[in-house]
Amino acid sequence: MTRSSRQTILDAVRAATSSDIDQYEAIPRGYVRVGALDQQGRVQLMTERLHEYGAEVVESAPADLPHIVVRQLQHSGTHHFVVPAGIPQEWMGTGITWLVDQNLSHDEIERCGGVVTAASAGVADSGTIVLHHGPAEGRRVISLLPDFHLCVLRAFQIVETLPEYFARFIEPPRLATYISGPSATADIEMTRIKGVHGPRFLSVIIVRDDA
Amino acid sequence: MSGPVMDPRIAPPFPDAALPILQNTQLRKNVAHATDVIQAKRNRLVAEKQDWQELRTSGAAIRAHVLANLASYLEEFEKNCTAAGGVVHWAKDAAEARQIILGILREEKASEVIKIKTMTSAEIQLNPELEKAGIAAIETDLAELILQLGEDEGSHIVVPALHVNRQQVREVFARRMGLPELPDDPEALTAAARAYLRKKFLSVPTAISGANFLIAETGSVAIVESEGNGRMCLTLPQTLIALAGIEKVLPRFGDLEVLLQVLARSATGERLNPYNSLWSGVVPGDGPQRFHVVLLDNGRSEILGRKVERQTLQCIRCAACLNTCPVYRQTGGHAYGSPYAGPIGAILTPQLEHMRHGQSLPYASSLCGACYEVCPVKINIPEVLIDLRAKVVDQERAETKRWFDPMYVGMKAANFAFASAARFRFAQRFGRFGLRFFTDKDGWVRKLPNLGARWTLSRDLPGMPDQTFRQWWAERETGRGKEAR
Repeated sequence: MTRSSRQTILDAVRAATSSDIDQYEAIPRGYVRVGALDQQGRVQLMTERLHEYGAEVVESAPADLPHIVVRQLQHSGTHHFVVPAGIPQEWMGTGITWLVDQNLSHDEIERCGGVVTAASAGVADSGTIVLHHGPAEGRRVISLLPDFHLCVLRAFQIVETLPEYFARFIEPPRLATYISGPSATADIEMTRIKGVHGPRFLSVIIVRDDA
Repeated sequence: MSGPVMDPRIAPPFPDAALPILQNTQLRKNVAHATDVIQAKRNRLVAEKQDWQELRTSGAAIRAHVLANLASYLEEFEKNCTAAGGVVHWAKDAAEARQIILGILREEKASEVIKIKTMTSAEIQLNPELEKAGIAAIETDLAELILQLGEDEGSHIVVPALHVNRQQVREVFARRMGLPELPDDPEALTAAARAYLRKKFLSVPTAISGANFLIAETGSVAIVESEGNGRMCLTLPQTLIALAGIEKVLPRFGDLEVLLQVLARSATGERLNPYNSLWSGVVPGDGPQRFHVVLLDNGRSEILGRKVERQTLQCIRCAACLNTCPVYRQTGGHAYGSPYAGPIGAILTPQLEHMRHGQSLPYASSLCGACYEVCPVKINIPEVLIDLRAKVVDQERAETKRWFDPMYVGMKAANFAFASAARFRFAQRFGRFGLRFFTDKDGWVRKLPNLGARWTLSRDLPGMPDQTFRQWWAERETGRGKEAR
């Protein structure tokens, strides 16, 4: 039955479009694909946009990162943090209760107050954090259930425009989450409320490149 | 008071449904406020985007290209989604889509299912069918939850509960969640919804979603949202069913660079939506381990074959046309009697119904063109509206009872009169004579009988001048004409 519906639909679609010849390459692409900012400008714009969303942003030299991670976490007011298994060991400083995600249950993750992850890219124009959920970014669930998300972004990972991100990842990811500010709704009288279901607090550390 | 009827097969014609709504000042206030806020945000962010028109041009071209090559992109999507571990189903119509979804849910022995807001599920009237089968559908989008608990219907594609205000939300939540002390500030109401749904997210093993985009190149599905309820439904359950119209395909992953930008700005006035999720089939160890996509035709292949109407399927459901429409802004969405309201609903609904229902909708427009101007994929909605009006007239022309319709008889008479100069002159003289009895002393007509009353109900009509333009012109030639007024 389903098989025949498939054929029925495809036949109908083919019949409706039989005389069309239209090349993908001919699609006009006159929009801005590459930005004009240098790296410092990109970091600055990214920071501004994240601030607009109410996210917290700090910059860090590569050598200071472990210390700054611990400092930001201590400021967050929570103590239990889940981290992906592939996160660099040196980020996990002392004075924090770390829970490494090796197939943790949803309830175990839910009980953590926060999560620390790396990222795949940042898009300055929209203040977007991109996760492809690799080993240092973790499964989707760990950056979803905890209320506080600390994300470590490297300055070289920040592009200015969305098209620059797509140009950088020609090989499409199997999974991706694009985060542009914390969970929000405007469903009641268009009043913007932060924190419906996803993390309510987003904190970003931008790591300057090695000199 | 009975709720709005949102099934185009049984809904009253637009003018009849609109009348009581126009008397509901609270609802009109709510709709006006919401559409004003979204439009202001949208306009500000579109103005800052230097390449907005180029993005629109590309967005329209990508969508038109997909439609022109839809069969091969659907096959490519199916192949890649299947290879990634997904199961692809095809549904000719709403009934088949419901049967497929019910079949999957029965196999899963599901008694509850969590849902991400999906217009397509409303289109196929899925929730009543689930209820009949004893499966509780839990809407997780805040607006949809408000409507579901309040037994109300959505009135907007993006913010379906925009016709409800905070006091009304408070009343519904207090009653249905058992929270008599709940205050009416949006923050507290949102927190109540968060707590209410959290338990469901963590315990219900099956979810139903729509799809914003299907990527042919990778077989992946993209969902854009703001609240995180989408991410919950896409991540926590064991089984996920995505229902998508066949037109939702994009050729490549990279095409999102255009469509995500125009969609977010047009829909909610943001640079990007807070959350965009993309996944391909089943990813071991991450998210649902059983994934189904239901591809729905339900009239779309028929629309595809019509030259002018095909562009209807370019739509990415941003609802910018609703927010800007002078008709929608007065009536809200319920008058359209369909999950798809506003200008896009006025062209989509009757076509999805094979022009058998919703025939009044193409007339629910002043043809001002604002919808076309804001459309991020350049759908020429007025052009389609006019074409559909012609189709409705053709239908009426085929009916014998047309001779009892004063409008039809009047049009026939006008056609007869306008076809010859002599008859036209006679009709003018006759009309001027007849209208004299209804013209007030100051030269205005304020009250006409019969059909004419429809005009004078809300507008005055200037009386006929003493002479016609042609008379004046002829007399002017001979030097006896009065100066034109």
